[in-house]
Amino acid sequence: MKGIPTVLITVSPEVSAQMRPPRALYPNGFKIGNSLGGPGMRDLQRRVFRDALSLLNQNTRPGEVVMREYPDYGQYYEPPRVKK
Amino acid sequence: MSISRKCVPFTPFEGELPKSTIAIVTAGGVHLKEQEPFNIADELGDLGYRIIPEDVNSEQLMVTHHHYDHADADKDINVVFPIDVLRDLQAEGFIKAGARKHIGYMGYTMQLKAMYEGTAREIANEIDKGSRADAVILTGG
Repeated sequence: MKGIPTVLITVSPEVSAQMRPPRALYPNGFKIGNSLGGPGMRDLQRRVFRDALSLLNQNTRPGEVVMREYPDYGQYYEPPRVKK
Repeated sequence: MSISRKCVPFTPFEGELPKSTIAIVTAGGVHLKEQEPFNIADELGDLGYRIIPEDVNSEQLMVTHHHYDHADADKDINVVFPIDVLRDLQAEGFIKAGARKHIGYMGYTMQLKAMYEGTAREIANEIDKGSRADAVILTGG
């Protein structure tokens, strides 16, 4: 078995980056509990899901988190920070 | 299946999305209402996981997790477990299909070694054996 390709959708990018995920998407400003967007925001949820899957075919750098903007989320939440 | 601790466990994706089957693995504490809830009374966390079948109706799902506000997921499970979204992407031809099973677990534990060396491997094996997933989307709470 060679392994399973994965993509993480994270709303805690600093925390997730510590684990060096193979591929990861951070929708900028989404709050914890809203990984795909808000409830009922199906169009936004589809775009986030498509963007996450599309990282499978892109030259991302393993271990880094890719940030994307979704202005129609309409809110901004500061993500949790890692204490240094 | 073993998990690398020293380097990023990057598995190349050599397929095409319209020909690929996708599984969802969530740490958001999602499970079927008829399944045993995660044990939130245990301060060390619950190391178990629940298998969510491919034909699940999103109305059959719920969240048991006390380390994030899941009020929005209670209204629309797709905010952490995008099962209906997955089906939308299948209908539009973006992917081939959803996998035969998906996984929910509670992404909070004080037993990191047991999670890393036990639960994570068990979940990887569940996906590896019988899910037919070509790739996995991971979500947190």
